[in-house]
Amino acid sequence: MFRQTWTKTATLALIFAGLAAYNSFGGPFAKELVIEIAILAILAISLDFIGGYGGMISLAQGAVSGLGAYAFATVNVLFGASPLLALLSAILTAAAFGGAIGAVTARTKGIFFIMATLAFGQMAYVLVFDAKALGGDDGLPGIARLDLSRVGIDLQQPDQFAYFCLAALALTYLLAAVLLRSGFGRTLCGIRENEDRMRALGITVWRYKAAGSGFAGVFAGLSGALAAQQTMFVSPEMLTWTVSGEVLVVVILGGLGTLVGAPVGAAFLVFVKHFSSGLTNYWHLIIGFILVFAVWSGGRGIYGSIERLLTERALHRVPQRARSFKAAAATEAKADA
Amino acid sequence: MLLFLLSVGLTVIFGLLHFVNLAHGAFYAFGAYAGYSAVRWTGSFWGGFAIAPIAVAALGAALYFSLIRGMRHSGPMNQVLATFGLIFIFLDAFRIFWGDIALGIEPPASLAGTVEFLGIDYPAYRLFIIGLGLLIIAVLHLVLSRTQIGAIIRAGVDNGTMAGCLGINVEIVFFLVFCVGCALAGLAGAVAAPIVSISPNMGTEILIPSLIVVVIGGLGSLKGAVTGSLLVGFLQTFGAVLAPHVASIVIYALLASVLILKPAGLFPVRS
Repeated sequence: MFRQTWTKTATLALIFAGLAAYNSFGGPFAKELVIEIAILAILAISLDFIGGYGGMISLAQGAVSGLGAYAFATVNVLFGASPLLALLSAILTAAAFGGAIGAVTARTKGIFFIMATLAFGQMAYVLVFDAKALGGDDGLPGIARLDLSRVGIDLQQPDQFAYFCLAALALTYLLAAVLLRSGFGRTLCGIRENEDRMRALGITVWRYKAAGSGFAGVFAGLSGALAAQQTMFVSPEMLTWTVSGEVLVVVILGGLGTLVGAPVGAAFLVFVKHFSSGLTNYWHLIIGFILVFAVWSGGRGIYGSIERLLTERALHRVPQRARSFKAAAATEAKADA
Repeated sequence: MLLFLLSVGLTVIFGLLHFVNLAHGAFYAFGAYAGYSAVRWTGSFWGGFAIAPIAVAALGAALYFSLIRGMRHSGPMNQVLATFGLIFIFLDAFRIFWGDIALGIEPPASLAGTVEFLGIDYPAYRLFIIGLGLLIIAVLHLVLSRTQIGAIIRAGVDNGTMAGCLGINVEIVFFLVFCVGCALAGLAGAVAAPIVSISPNMGTEILIPSLIVVVIGGLGSLKGAVTGSLLVGFLQTFGAVLAPHVASIVIYALLASVLILKPAGLFPVRS
């Protein structure tokens, strides 16, 4: 079950304040980084929503998002429709694809689920790669950004687009949190914990899985649409399984099943990527070691470790009698998160 | 056949150790690189052919003790992630040690020409690969079904705890099987080196097809690995000739339909 604890709120506030400040006072490169972080974080929330809470760690999330980006590009460039319409169709397409994957793979578990999602993701990649109408492996250029001049925002300006992406990230987090606190979200967590028991309670499991995957598709589609607008170009590379793998790395580094971990991990990965590539050509090596270490050390991720540190310190502070109660509450909270 | 050599290692490792090793493709690439260096060093193809599996098995053994043994019981997700991290590490390690440029080695002179086979000229080296694959299938089949070691391995796959209760040191068996799986990946790499170019990405490229083979065939089953690699190999090759547009998608469609209809693969080890 999802709880918006004060550590989560504080972390979020810190991240948003930090990114906004970096966006305002950093150089032109800073704005690109902020945009990249926000887009990656939205996709990571999508994966954390379905993986961390729904228990379905999908390796198709990159493809879902990429398909959203392609929907945006198709509607905008090939049909000449407005970017707003393109955004809607991107979200709907990704949600439909995500929901379909969720429905079809609902019976598979563990490694089979991972493989099945991998297969569907690769299928989408190959289809897009071979589609001559969509530009094949050359991709589709000439995508327009949303026109918000009516409310006085010019998305052609990098800093305003970065704020827009941050706002989208905040909206995504809010939506995911609301969904997870609702009865639907609790059912999803219940399915993760014990599928058979939920079935015995009379819940049609596959419908919830499909719907959960569909909602994750909504977020992924939003992220894809933003990515398409950022580079004003889409290419099949956006759908490859390594993109999904990278998102998974983000979620794991940040902390699976925390929702806050997604922006934390995204910021961490993007910064490491860009600043280590200034020092060495081999940033994959660094990320690889960090990832192996993160998993090996218990897989709690950055945010999970911080939260644990804070709760443990709180435990030391309270007197002996209250401790056992507090400890029980903490373990419960950990299990819930 | 290359697919088979790779997927049989994967499937045995998974079936016995319940360990999902995404780094298996990296082992294959390491085999190719080790083969390349060994060929350079010994001056003969057979040097690489002999040294590559040993080098990869040694690497596998080192990894087993440092990382994999501790992660055997930590669920498929963590294993996928840790080995995904290993892929990253190996990718850059290959680039550091052998550079970005694709390398190549020559097939041995004795296998360089073509052979007339059923009225068709066929490159001798490819026939050699097919023969080697058949030989390994035969040896594995014999070992697994006819020897005591095979019986121990099958017992470990069926019920590791029970086998342990009967006085079998399952840990050591697991370790040896892991090494053999790695050695097979290394052998595949060394054998593939003359017909494909050796590049850091070769492991990632072959990983997906071999995972598909393993999942289609059923995790942990030798029969499944043989059938799966034949199925995938034929679909890939004939599909590319007969219907190039759908060929690439057919394999994924096959995987998806197998997973939906028979979620445990075509030849599941356990019911």
